[in-house]
Amino acid sequence: MKKRWPITILYRAFSSSTTSTTASFPLKHVKKSNFDSALSSLRHHVQAADFVAIDLEMTGITSAPWRDSFEFDRFDVRYLKVKDSAEKFAVIQFGVSPFRWDPLKQSFITHPHNFFIFQRQELPLDGAAYEFLCQTTSMDFLAKYQFDFNACIHEGVSYLSREQEDKALKHVNSTYEDESLDSWHSLKEIRDTHLFNIPDILFAERMKDRLSEWLGGLLRNRDGGSEVQPSFNDSKQQFETIFFKMRPAISLNGFTSHQLLLIQLVVRKHFKDLAYLRVSGENSCSQNVIVYIESESDKKMLMKEVKDEQKIDAEMSIKASIGFRHVIDLLSSEKKLIVGHNCFLDIAHIYSKFFGPLPLTAEEFISSVNKYFPHIIDTKILLNSNSILQQRMKKSSTSLSKAFSVLCPQIALGSKSTHLALQPSVKVEVEVDDIRSSNWNSGVKHEAGYDAFMTGCVFAQACSHLGIDFKQQSSSENLAHNEKLREHVNLLYLSWTNGEIINLSTGNRTSESLASNKRKNHYPKILFECIVIVWGFPSHLKAWDIRECISKVYGPTSVISVYHVDETAVFVQFSRAEMVSKFLDLKGSLDRNNDPISVLHPLAKLLEGGNTCAASYETYKEICSSTVSKVLFADQAKAVGIKWKTKLVESSDKTKEHESLRKVKAVNSDPSCGERTKNKNFDDHPCSFNGSRRTNTNLPIELLSEIFEELTDCENISHRAAVCMSFMASCHQNFLPSTFISSSISFLHCSHNHHQNLALSSNVQTHKHHQMFLPQLKESRCASTSYDGWLLTLPFDRKQNLYLSNPFARDRIKLGTAQALRVVTSISPLDPKCVVLDIHK
Amino acid sequence: MVPKFKPSPLRIRSFCTKTVQQNPHHWPIKQITKTNFNESLSEIKNHISSSDFIAVSLQNTGSFSSPWHRVSTFDTPETAYLKAKFAAERFQILQFAICPFKLQASKVIAYPYNFHLFPRDELKMGMPSYSFTCQTSYLTAMAKEGFDFNTCIYDGISYLSEAQESTVKVRMGNPMAVDHATKSSSSPALSVADTVFIERVRSRVKHWKNACTDSDIKTEAALVTSLRKIVLGGEQFGSRPSMTIDVCSERQVQLVLKMLEDFSDVLVPLIIPAKGGGTQAVRAVLTSSDEDKDLLKRELQTFEFEQNKRVRGFREVIDLISASQKPLVAHNSLNDFTFIHSKFLAPLPPNMNEFICSLRLAFPQVIDVNYLLKDIGPVKKMTNISATIAYLKNRFFAPIEMEIPNQANENEGKIHGHNVVKICQLFGKLCSILKITPDAIESSDDFLASAINRYANIFYSLPGSSQEPTNEEIRGWTNDKRKVSCEDVVFLWGFRERISAGILKNMLQGSHEVFAEAFNVRMVDRSCAIVVFGKPGLSNTFKNVMNSKAVSGPLREMVSDGLKAAGYETYQRVCSSGLWESALADALDKTLASHNCLSEAAYETKQSEIYLSNELINLAEL
Repeated sequence: MKKRWPITILYRAFSSSTTSTTASFPLKHVKKSNFDSALSSLRHHVQAADFVAIDLEMTGITSAPWRDSFEFDRFDVRYLKVKDSAEKFAVIQFGVSPFRWDPLKQSFITHPHNFFIFQRQELPLDGAAYEFLCQTTSMDFLAKYQFDFNACIHEGVSYLSREQEDKALKHVNSTYEDESLDSWHSLKEIRDTHLFNIPDILFAERMKDRLSEWLGGLLRNRDGGSEVQPSFNDSKQQFETIFFKMRPAISLNGFTSHQLLLIQLVVRKHFKDLAYLRVSGENSCSQNVIVYIESESDKKMLMKEVKDEQKIDAEMSIKASIGFRHVIDLLSSEKKLIVGHNCFLDIAHIYSKFFGPLPLTAEEFISSVNKYFPHIIDTKILLNSNSILQQRMKKSSTSLSKAFSVLCPQIALGSKSTHLALQPSVKVEVEVDDIRSSNWNSGVKHEAGYDAFMTGCVFAQACSHLGIDFKQQSSSENLAHNEKLREHVNLLYLSWTNGEIINLSTGNRTSESLASNKRKNHYPKILFECIVIVWGFPSHLKAWDIRECISKVYGPTSVISVYHVDETAVFVQFSRAEMVSKFLDLKGSLDRNNDPISVLHPLAKLLEGGNTCAASYETYKEICSSTVSKVLFADQAKAVGIKWKTKLVESSDKTKEHESLRKVKAVNSDPSCGERTKNKNFDDHPCSFNGSRRTNTNLPIELLSEIFEELTDCENISHRAAVCMSFMASCHQNFLPSTFISSSISFLHCSHNHHQNLALSSNVQTHKHHQMFLPQLKESRCASTSYDGWLLTLPFDRKQNLYLSNPFARDRIKLGTAQALRVVTSISPLDPKCVVLDIHK
Repeated sequence: MVPKFKPSPLRIRSFCTKTVQQNPHHWPIKQITKTNFNESLSEIKNHISSSDFIAVSLQNTGSFSSPWHRVSTFDTPETAYLKAKFAAERFQILQFAICPFKLQASKVIAYPYNFHLFPRDELKMGMPSYSFTCQTSYLTAMAKEGFDFNTCIYDGISYLSEAQESTVKVRMGNPMAVDHATKSSSSPALSVADTVFIERVRSRVKHWKNACTDSDIKTEAALVTSLRKIVLGGEQFGSRPSMTIDVCSERQVQLVLKMLEDFSDVLVPLIIPAKGGGTQAVRAVLTSSDEDKDLLKRELQTFEFEQNKRVRGFREVIDLISASQKPLVAHNSLNDFTFIHSKFLAPLPPNMNEFICSLRLAFPQVIDVNYLLKDIGPVKKMTNISATIAYLKNRFFAPIEMEIPNQANENEGKIHGHNVVKICQLFGKLCSILKITPDAIESSDDFLASAINRYANIFYSLPGSSQEPTNEEIRGWTNDKRKVSCEDVVFLWGFRERISAGILKNMLQGSHEVFAEAFNVRMVDRSCAIVVFGKPGLSNTFKNVMNSKAVSGPLREMVSDGLKAAGYETYQRVCSSGLWESALADALDKTLASHNCLSEAAYETKQSEIYLSNELINLAEL
């Protein structure tokens, strides 16, 4: 398989050459094998560069659909989304293209580098395994552009972030310094164990004999001359005499770990002048040696020597695994102007991959980014904010490839396109290894190296349109300090969707200036304190239904917009901030009360199913900050650990009370309420203002009955539920047998869908329909009206009982098994004189 | 113990067969990608139906992110399942190897296939998966084996799970033929509005039908025809004229369908589902004759069939396996089948029992070779198949020949999926050692069934009954393995990092009188240890002491330094609430914090027993 890569790359490189005459040699791809040489040449190029263009390819952008960028993202939420993306996804390609103005050639010279990067776990760091997320669509997108995943995973350059490096070094220091002298090797666990079985004892004896033989020979040898010991090196080569740190030693080969353990015990027990060591030999496999030592101090010295060597080795391997971060360190230390295209996410990736964990807030992030990269320019902002450039762009989109083809046609389309010759253009010469070309086109978009090159070209051309004359620009002067660029430096799109721009050097946030224009503002200014997030509602409800539902309670102008976060959640933007707490209070009380009236409340449609949750915008932010990413928002909220259904906006009790009173008024003056004058009478009743909502149940019975007489309309009952639940519930207990229900409501039809358990009721007077949720209908096929609002429920199973149920009182009267087709009652079933007539087939 | 085998004629014959392959690197395993998937399906189908068993093996993008996420000896089946579920929901299957095989005497005839999968979003609906996690170490290991990621991502076969397919069907809004289930048998009473509605639709349909069938009209001018079309609202459905009747409720659907029965000689009603579920409209298609009507119905069926096939992708193979009802053989069945369930059947249920029930509907028999191994006797749990095969080779005389009649792969690509053949080989060996012999298979199906049933559907087997002496001795363990009740286990955390179990045990020994009795300490990960009390009841005493103000002496010192303890039920709660922090200590802390706000939930730990054995928590690995 390995042999296929160059073919793929060549294919990519040449695929475009058929259509254009431009020189097209491949990009400089940097992998593990050529990283060191590429780094040293890149170092020179960056040092000499006027600016460096960068671009990144990632394995994905959003970890869940609801993490996408919305108009309704406040800047802190936007940052949390970017943070989540940068933390979860991996960077697999990094394009660096340093641009240098060559005064002799009157053109820019650039060296685009395309680094394949892939972080491997090279160091034995503790804790979690390295892992990253892949977004399926992004991978598919990369595949469409023939991205070479093999090059990345097989041969990508690994890296360590600064934080990981520090951690690893600290780990090494603590292992080699803090603990007692000989505890660093893995044998510290070994204590004097008793030899359990005969084979072990025999083996230990044999080892003891052989070691003393070797030691004796060694001592004889030292005292007496040059007698060699060929006999000792046995046929299996298990004992090999070597020199270890200038001391005679035996290297142990071919023993099992259990045998090594026994040998170690023998050495400890019987030989004072031998030391057992396990050292990491060449090619990282460990080697077990027994070293001859002259004295205790010699032993200490040996240990120290070995320890120091191993520490240095460990530190070397940490240094060696820094890998690609050298490039980032280079860009940061050279303080060059960094140019990217819509690069806020790119910068966040760079920060989290190469510096350390992303800070919790956007402010902290911005100030530390500014420390590492003092000058950043985003070409997308540049193109949008400057009117000269906008004119040049002819109002076309500011995507990178579009900008490139509009601003740099001579490069993008090849030199043949002469009709554009009138336009003054900045020449860019590309140098890859030793090949040069002034109209290079590798033709592979979405290859980080090429994208970085395009970004650089766009920037160079944009500068020239802004009136920056590179010919007069002295090479020593930093382009970032150029007056004409000053107002564009360090501005990044926090969110492209709502045009919010953040200034990295000051931390100020601004909305895109009005001059920029192409952007149509679909949405009125968003006030986040007016927003409620609702999730877990029945899936068939769409934004329009929800809007209608809420408008029924608070009036048609109350809801400004309803925006789908995903299929399970919506933002509801109210016209006034105080409606947020009103809505949440109401929803909370509807959740708490289970009485029949909540069924008739206009919001019941939204609350159907009992899983609907609502909270203010702050909760949305909290959910966004979680590291979990479930695909659906409702699942995410559950995973975050939200167990409540409604999170009320915190406010003092006094204001709450006040609000609840106002609510009574507000609802009563709702134009959709039928009999207004009568309601006004009710409002004027002094009792209704006494005390808070919760004490309404204590109203005198006479008063309640008086109110009840006013309520002749089913719809009014629903609206009364909005006023206060407990109040209505108490009314029901006291006045259920009254005749108003039978006179006004008839049940037309009950849903056949036994999952929904819905009943459709109709008001004869107003011809309005109402839906009711009736759990009693479960397992029942059909229901029809008989008398007084009582429903006849037919079970699916004929052997089960027929019932008469009252949807308001939730009462049931058993009628016997379902042999009947129709049931007729003489009067209300509650009446003892009631006779039930059932007609058999 | 050593079974003897008579050389069978089959064996001798097989020596002459050229296809006998003993070297694993030359096993011709058919590699299947998007390009050759469709053409291979019928062949696979034949092999599946003629096989005795089907071995499966997966290559995933990762398994566990933190040491404690790994299924370990101190897990009950329930927590083991929750761990496997967590992995199956996050990681992705990149290769799915299946191998239908037959056992004949000491020969295994195998037809291995290795499918390259990639969850491509073919329908642009965020399915089969929006995103998946990759573990770098897994990808690096795959790269070392020469795995071709480009083939996988460019050319991998996509799929949809059963559950996803049914939601997709609704969302695609394809017209559905009316079956009897959708027709309501009951005849609800007609209201006035219903009657008006029916009559209005009926007259529309009648006019339209007459217009279409009336031969005179064909002579009309084009303008008139098109005008008529607009007025009557006629459309084309394929080559046939059709008419859409909008409905606003399911009741109206029933009414329309009932009304259309009057025209059933020529009209075929189709239901157009709405995007969000329910019905958007009813479409009546005009057919010219009864034959034409049947033709239309068949056309609809084939259309649906083709589309389903396209949507299902690789799941076609899963369906074939499921339909065959053959016993499946796997090596790490809990892990593999949680993946299979979550990717190809439906989202994983919240507990082990439901999972097993749901899985059994699709795959009635799943045999884990690890469980068969347990019956062999003193075998320590081996994670590596090759090592297990080598181990059996040394101990038992059970030669198994592998015959793979597949044609060698035409493409030059590297061959992957050896594991599945090794599983076949191992299974063959085990069958012959355990005397679930091939003869039995031929002679009596009942015997086989009962023999296999003994081993089937055990997803979480406890490790072997005894161990070989291991090299990493952990002090204080007198028995190699003991059954330990969950009640006697206490999780301990909040001590200095990188402490060893031995040191921790020493520290505990003198700290309190409960530690005067025999107890054991084992590290779970760097942040957390478990303490197992030998004497029942001591764990509760200890937990109470830890929570009381009376804690004194060295233990008080340790508690002041941050030492915390919790019982097994807290650990179960960690797993069930999905707090998969990278350090177990953090997860336990969070669970305790969130639990304090909630009412006490009763967890039954009494019955569940876990095994603690010496060898499975290998400190070097942690």
